[in-house]
Amino acid sequence: MAEGPKQEAKAEGKGGVKKALKELIYGMAVHDMVRYALKTRMYLEHLFMLITLGDMLGIPLLPPYYSLRLLPYAVPNIATWKRRLFRERDFTDALY
Amino acid sequence: MREFFERRPELKVITYAGKGGLGKTTCSAATAYWLAIKKGKKCLCFSTDPQASLSDIFERDIFGKGVQSFGPGLYVLEIDADKRIADYQEEIRRRIKEMYGLDEIPKEIDEYIKSAAAEPAMHESATYDAMAELLAKGEYDYYIFDMPPFGHGIRMVSMAFILDAWIDKITEARMEAQKYREAIELLRGTVEMEREDMMLKDLMEIREKLDFFRDVLTDEKRSAFFMVIVPEKMAILDTERALDMFAKLDMRLSGIIVNMVYPVSLLKRPDVGPYLRNRIKMQQKYMDIIWDKFGDYIRAVLPMYDREPKGLEMIARVAEDLFGWSPEGEVWWREQ
Repeated sequence: MAEGPKQEAKAEGKGGVKKALKELIYGMAVHDMVRYALKTRMYLEHLFMLITLGDMLGIPLLPPYYSLRLLPYAVPNIATWKRRLFRERDFTDALY
Repeated sequence: MREFFERRPELKVITYAGKGGLGKTTCSAATAYWLAIKKGKKCLCFSTDPQASLSDIFERDIFGKGVQSFGPGLYVLEIDADKRIADYQEEIRRRIKEMYGLDEIPKEIDEYIKSAAAEPAMHESATYDAMAELLAKGEYDYYIFDMPPFGHGIRMVSMAFILDAWIDKITEARMEAQKYREAIELLRGTVEMEREDMMLKDLMEIREKLDFFRDVLTDEKRSAFFMVIVPEKMAILDTERALDMFAKLDMRLSGIIVNMVYPVSLLKRPDVGPYLRNRIKMQQKYMDIIWDKFGDYIRAVLPMYDREPKGLEMIARVAEDLFGWSPEGEVWWREQ
C-alpha cells in the first residue's frame, strides 16, 4: 500500500518532465510563430469587422443589410475591437 | 413585343423602368397576364415600389400579403420592405440570443441593429435581396419586376454589382483569416469553435445568391429591360439619360414602350375641340422625335384608354395591345 503514492509521484515526475520538455520545445520552436499568427489573425479579424460593421463606429459603409447577417458572429469580439481602435496611440506602440 | 419574346426563349427576368406615372405597373401587369394566361407560363409579377400600385391595378389589397394568385400561372407579389426589415432584425436578434445563450441583446448591439435598419440603403438592399432570393429559388418561368421610378431601374443593376463585389471582398478576407486559424490550430494542436465555418457558410450563401442575380441581370438572353415613355419632352430626356447609363454599364436596353398616345384619326373628326387637337399635335411632334431618336427600340405603342387601366379585363386589353402591336398594318399612332 505504501508503494502506491510513491509510484504515482514517480509517474507524475516522468509526466512532468515530458510536459516540461514539450513546453520547452513549444516555447523555443513554435511559440513565436503562434504569437505572430494570432496577432496577424487579430489584425485581420479587426479589419474584417471594420469593413463589415464600421458604421458602428460612425464610419458609413455600403450595404448594412448583409452586415447584420454577420453581426452575430462578431458579438464576442466587439468590445476588444472597439477598445483597440479607439485607444490612444504613442511611440511605444511601435515596440509591439 | 410578341416577336421579341418569341426570339428569346431563355428569357427569365423582365424589368420595366421609367419615370413615375407613365404606366410601368400597367405594362408589368399586362406582360404577366399575357405570358401566364395566353402562353400558359408561370409568372410572378413583383412590385418593389413603396407606392404600391399593383394593388390598385389588380383591384385587391395585396401589399405585404405574400404571393397572390390571379388566375392560372398569374402570380403577383407586392412586398412590404418595412416589414421585411423588421422581420430580418428580429431574426438577427434571435440568432445572437441563440448563439450565446443570452436572454437579452446587449444594449450596444441592439442599438446597432436599430440604427442599421434606419439606413436609407436598407430598403433597397432588402428589396434586392428579396428579388435575388426569389430568382435563386427559380419557382417561376418569368419574373416581371416593376421598378420604382428612381434611377431608371438601372440602379438595381449597379447596386447588385456593388453588393456582389463587397461580398466577394469580405469572403476573401474571411478566407485569409481562416488560413491563420488553421495554422494556429495545427501548431497548438487545439480545435477552435465552429463559428468560423458557419460564418463562411453564410457568406458563401449570400455570395452565390448575389452572383446568380447579377449574372441573370446582365445576361441579354435571360434578362430584358424595357422603358415606358410618353410623347412628352421630359420623358424623352429621361430615356436618353437611361440609354447613357445602360451604355456605361455595358448593357443594352431591350426596348421602349410608348404609352398614352392619342389616335391621330381624332384630328379628322370635326367634333374634336381645339383643346384635344392641340394635345394631339403636340404628341405628334414628339412622336417624330421619338422615332428619330429611338426608332429601333420601339416595341409597342399603347393608346390613351378611355378609362383607367384597372382590373383584369382592362389588363387583358392592354396585354392584347402590347403584344399585338406591330409597326405594319394600320398606323393609328402617327400621321402618315
